[in-house]
Amino acid sequence: MSVRRDDGGTTILLVGKCPVEDAEPLLQLLQATPGAPLDWTKCSHLHTAVLQVILAGRPALIGPCGDPWVEQWVAANLL
Amino acid sequence: MNALHEQFIAEARELIHQATDDLIAVEREGFAPERIDRVFRAFHTLKGSAGVVELPAMGVTLHAAEDLLAAIHAGKLEASPAIIDQALACLDQVARWVDDFEAGASLPPHAGEEARAMAGALRHLLSPTETEAPAGSDREVSATATAGAPPAWVSRLIESQRRQITGHIDDARGDLVAFSYEPDRGCFFNGDDPLQLIRQVPGLLALQVDAREPWPALAELDPFACNLRLQGIATGRHAELANIFRLVPDQVRIVDVPLAAARRDQERDAGESDAAGLVRAVLAEQRQVLLVADQDEDISGRLGAAARAAANALRYGLRPDLAEDIERAGVAALSARSAAALLSALEQALAALVGDAPAGDSGLAVASGPARAQEPERPASRALRVDEVKIDALVNLAGELIVAKNGIAHLAKRLQDEVGDHDLARAVRREHDTIERLAGEMHAAILQLRMVPVAQVFRSFPRLVRDMSQRLEKKVRLVTHGETTESDKAVVDRLFEPLLHLVRNALDHGIESPEQRRSAGKDEGATITMQASRVGDRLVVEVVDDGRGIDPAIVRRRARERGIIADDELAALPDEQVIDLIFSAGFSTVAEVSDISGRGVGMDVVRATVERIGGRASVMSRLGAGTTVRLDLPMNIAVSRIMVVEAGGQMFGIPMDAVTETVRLGRERISRIKNNDGFVLRDRVVPICSLAELMKLPAAPTPAADTRLVLVTEISGKVTALEVDAIQDRLEVVLKPLQGLLANARGYAGTTLLGDGRVLLVLDLKEVLQ
Repeated sequence: MSVRRDDGGTTILLVGKCPVEDAEPLLQLLQATPGAPLDWTKCSHLHTAVLQVILAGRPALIGPCGDPWVEQWVAANLL
Repeated sequence: MNALHEQFIAEARELIHQATDDLIAVEREGFAPERIDRVFRAFHTLKGSAGVVELPAMGVTLHAAEDLLAAIHAGKLEASPAIIDQALACLDQVARWVDDFEAGASLPPHAGEEARAMAGALRHLLSPTETEAPAGSDREVSATATAGAPPAWVSRLIESQRRQITGHIDDARGDLVAFSYEPDRGCFFNGDDPLQLIRQVPGLLALQVDAREPWPALAELDPFACNLRLQGIATGRHAELANIFRLVPDQVRIVDVPLAAARRDQERDAGESDAAGLVRAVLAEQRQVLLVADQDEDISGRLGAAARAAANALRYGLRPDLAEDIERAGVAALSARSAAALLSALEQALAALVGDAPAGDSGLAVASGPARAQEPERPASRALRVDEVKIDALVNLAGELIVAKNGIAHLAKRLQDEVGDHDLARAVRREHDTIERLAGEMHAAILQLRMVPVAQVFRSFPRLVRDMSQRLEKKVRLVTHGETTESDKAVVDRLFEPLLHLVRNALDHGIESPEQRRSAGKDEGATITMQASRVGDRLVVEVVDDGRGIDPAIVRRRARERGIIADDELAALPDEQVIDLIFSAGFSTVAEVSDISGRGVGMDVVRATVERIGGRASVMSRLGAGTTVRLDLPMNIAVSRIMVVEAGGQMFGIPMDAVTETVRLGRERISRIKNNDGFVLRDRVVPICSLAELMKLPAAPTPAADTRLVLVTEISGKVTALEVDAIQDRLEVVLKPLQGLLANARGYAGTTLLGDGRVLLVLDLKEVLQ
């Protein structure tokens, strides 16, 4: 599972390759814990659907994104 | 009305004129990029100023026109007559609004509707390529290779990503490509990863990812329905991008952005917010149409039209998703033969747009701030705009100075006559001469401020001739010469009406139809020439046509029918003088009243107007070859030369331009003809009128000498001798119109102050001698 809570349960983590399937669990986590920050430093690849959930939910991001291309081109849209 | 508004009004009028001229030139001489560019700039600047003085209706209209022109500039559209017509109509509309704005500091209440109608008409011309073609079609591939203005979304993108791309623009490493990718809502189900496509874009400079529709609450978010719009700028080549997006051509638009355009984009300001407003307006209008149309029998046509219009507007506003919804609803409504489905879709679309608006607008406001500050240097005009009233105050002051100077001459005369001090009188006279010279120079210099080129009047005519010749289905070319000839503003301002009448006449009556011209062996295309020149201290303006000319026989017949002059007089007149009768009141050579020139004002009005400012109108014509009407006008009307005369114990001023000579008559030269005195002057009998009698004053006792003094005057071709008791002086004076109770008194041209402080009434001989 590339989307999950961290051990303390306060932060949402994206780890490794995040495929389209991650969109729904991420959405559920954001809904369950509004205000929980999202750590995407370990995310190596981000699918558009996942990005869309991040854009819609706008969690506080812990970066930089592990996917350098996303960090360079997409992260600015989430500031 | 504050200074900003005044500035706007003056500037707007200039821009409207300039754009009109250029549009007509484009139509006449064909497409030229720099000309379209100038027109575009004029529209653009107008739009910007309309924004500054907060006239949104004007902004919306001009924005639509601007897009049309941008498409022409980019070569997407041809400058067809229909487009030029519409652009001119748009300028007309804006000119009317400027007038309204000047009158009431606001636009009339119906301006919004007019704006919508005009913008709609302009968009309609644009629609075949801009709003109906699917996004990303080949058209756009080739379209923007030229330095045309990029579409609004590209401008916005460049503006918001300026930081990312400035370095590149400054390096000028080559042109840019902009793309806008709106993935299909179901793309995630199809296994698409839009970001994956964009990762392949070579030389990406900036990427902007945002929502097409406002994000719903998370609880309502469908994570598998794509609601993203991905827009970016890259250095890659157009073809490379097209290849990357080859599987989704319907979801992407690719536009070349020449560096020039990317830089120039700094000029373009918040057009997009206008566009959003326009889209909303169009939608609201369709809703209105449908609400009214529901009771109508033939609803299907309206449904289709409304759905099309709304969908086009939404596509233009970069909301193809909503456009599709509308189209679907339109089909449903058509099959149900009820507007209900379409109406609710329109409501939804409107609601969605309103949700969009604030974010878009505020973002743009920020972006447009610096953009406006960087507005590129227009060739700065070194002219000052000064209120005419201020100049007139100066003219008056200088006039007073001249009058005061006349007082010194009076003083010198008294020194000589009453004191007998010749030396002092001579010294005073010398001082007088110096002051006279200086005052004269100053007066001339100030009058020079009032000098404006006749181009100010001429410039309205190309448009006029174009429109009228189209309506009359005649081919007419307007040639103007001597536009730079200058004359007093008062003269130039009064020229428009007579010239308008002359040109209308030439078009309507003078110029033959193309068939008539062909059969007469003439070139099908006729020419009307307007020329201005300076002859001595007179301004001569001529309107020349190469039409059918004036037939003296027809003029004779008409004059007889209308009883313009007595039959025997008419029979004696040579042909050249017969055609002068067209200036007589109640004369019109065309029986039927046409909508061009037959509006009840005839050539008599032309002559009257011209004579009122001290000018003369004459006509020359050769049958079959054309007609020339010549207006001979004073260069300025602020200073008149008058003769001070005495009659019946009173002093009067008589304008010198009416007096041809003064004659002292011995008793033997005067003969009694009927019950009037007259005398023979160069084989012509001239009647003598006594000025005292005309002014209803008691006749002065007959002077001892057996001679009588007369001024020979010529007014409207009639020679009359005006008997006076004495001629006192010749003066240059500043005429002031009669005021107060006397304002309507007939027979006076005005008043002036004499050197000794007396007020002199200056006669209007034309009225006096009637």
